[in-house]
Order: sequence, then C-alpha cells, then structure tokens
Amino acid sequence: MNGMNQQQDEARLLALLRESKPTSPLPPRFQENVWRRIECVEVGQPGERRNWLDAFVNLVLRPRLAFAAVAVLVLMGTVLGVREGVQTARHEAQARYVTAVAPDVLR
Amino acid sequence: MRRPLAILLGALAAGIAVFAGAFFIAQQVCARRMADPADDLAWLRQEFRLNDAELARIRELHEGYMPKCHEMCAKIMAKKREVDQTLAGAANVTPAAEQKLIELGTLRAQCQLQMLRHFAEVSQAMPHEQGRRYLAEMQRLTLGSHEQIEQSMSGSAGHSHGHK
Repeated sequence: MNGMNQQQDEARLLALLRESKPTSPLPPRFQENVWRRIECVEVGQPGERRNWLDAFVNLVLRPRLAFAAVAVLVLMGTVLGVREGVQTARHEAQARYVTAVAPDVLR
Repeated sequence: MRRPLAILLGALAAGIAVFAGAFFIAQQVCARRMADPADDLAWLRQEFRLNDAELARIRELHEGYMPKCHEMCAKIMAKKREVDQTLAGAANVTPAAEQKLIELGTLRAQCQLQMLRHFAEVSQAMPHEQGRRYLAEMQRLTLGSHEQIEQSMSGSAGHSHGHK
C-alpha cells in the first residue's frame, strides 16, 4: 500500500518536472539557417572546399611546422642578404678606387 | 573573406615579412662591416688577395701617382673652361676653338697615358696572375665606357660617320 503511494508520488513528480523544464526561444531565422546548412551539405562543393582549406590551415599552422618555416625563412634571408651585402660592399669599394685613380674627365 | 583563407594569407604575409627583414638586416650589416671608407685601396686588398708587403708597395705607388693625377685633372678642367669660353656665343667653330679642342684632347690623352702607366706599375707589384687580372679589369672599367659609346655610334647601330 505504502509502495503504491510512493510510485504514484514519483510519477507525479516526474510529470511536474517535465512540465517545469525551461524552454529557451529559438534564435531568429533558426529554421531558415538549418535548411541552408542542409542544402550546403547536399550540394557539397563549398562545404568540401571549406573543409579542405580548414584541413590545410590546420596542417600548415601547427606550431612545430610554423617554427620550422620561420627558421628556414630567416636562414634563407640571412644567407642571401649576406651574399648581397658582400656584393654591395665589393662594388662600393671598387667604385671608390676607380674614382680615385681614374678621374671623371677620362671616363 | 573566409576565416581559413584569411589566416593562410596572413601567415604568408608574415613569412614574406620575416624573409625580407632577415635579408635586409643581413645585407646592411654585412655591407657596413665590410666597407672601409677610409681606404681607397681596400678593394685591391680584397679583390686581388694582396699581402701586407704587396699592399704597402702599391700604396707607395698610389700615393706617388695621386698628386700627378690631380695636377693633370686641374689642367684638363682649365683647358675645358677655355674651350667653353671660346665656343660661347660663336656661330661657327673658329680656328681658335679648334686649337683649344685639340689641346684639350692632347691633355686627356696624356692623362690617360699616365693613368695606364700607373695601372701597369701597380699590376707589376702584384702576383703575376692577379696583376694580369687587375690590368684587364682597370682597362675595362676606365676605357670600356669609351668603347661602348664608340660602338653605339658606329655603323652597327645605324649611325655611319663615313668610316668605310
């Protein structure tokens, strides 16, 4: 007898809880947006392209790879810069000597 | 623009900036450290790998040549002014102007001869192979510009001056 009452109370409590569940209003144009997404997935192309790009960005911008790329760029820039600097210094020194020994009136 | 694409382009721009920055800094530092603005002969030492004794001998020759060179330049400039004065306002080339031009040309030839003699002396103070290279390089640098002008004015460029 006591058990039956307890079961009834629980059922009533559950019903009460179900009724009192808070419902938040859907965002504006929710349905329209859902349909647009579904259409996008069905058509395939933009979604696929985006996925491909996302995957590529995720692959390329990994910290380890990014640091390696920066290191390679700095190294390459430095090596080429030094080479160019040597050439510039050489040309300037050559021009200084030629200007000293061969006046402009002869050249 | 989509976000992944923007990130990718941003990363690319950052990469270019990193490369350009490293290049520019390395170039400037290297050029500044290698330059020796106080010494006109720095190029000879570097380019022809001269030792101290060779450089000292060449410096002696250089210092002996420079006053002669300045003197000759002053004479040429003075003669050039005379030519300008003679030609100023004249409708025709007068015999006096012609004479001044001949004198100017003679002075230039003498100066050039003196310069070439100096180059020959300097080349002899260097090791044989380096000396040959120096002489060829100096002739190219000082006489080459005339050759270019003469070639551009010759028949091959379509400007015949009657040299047949």
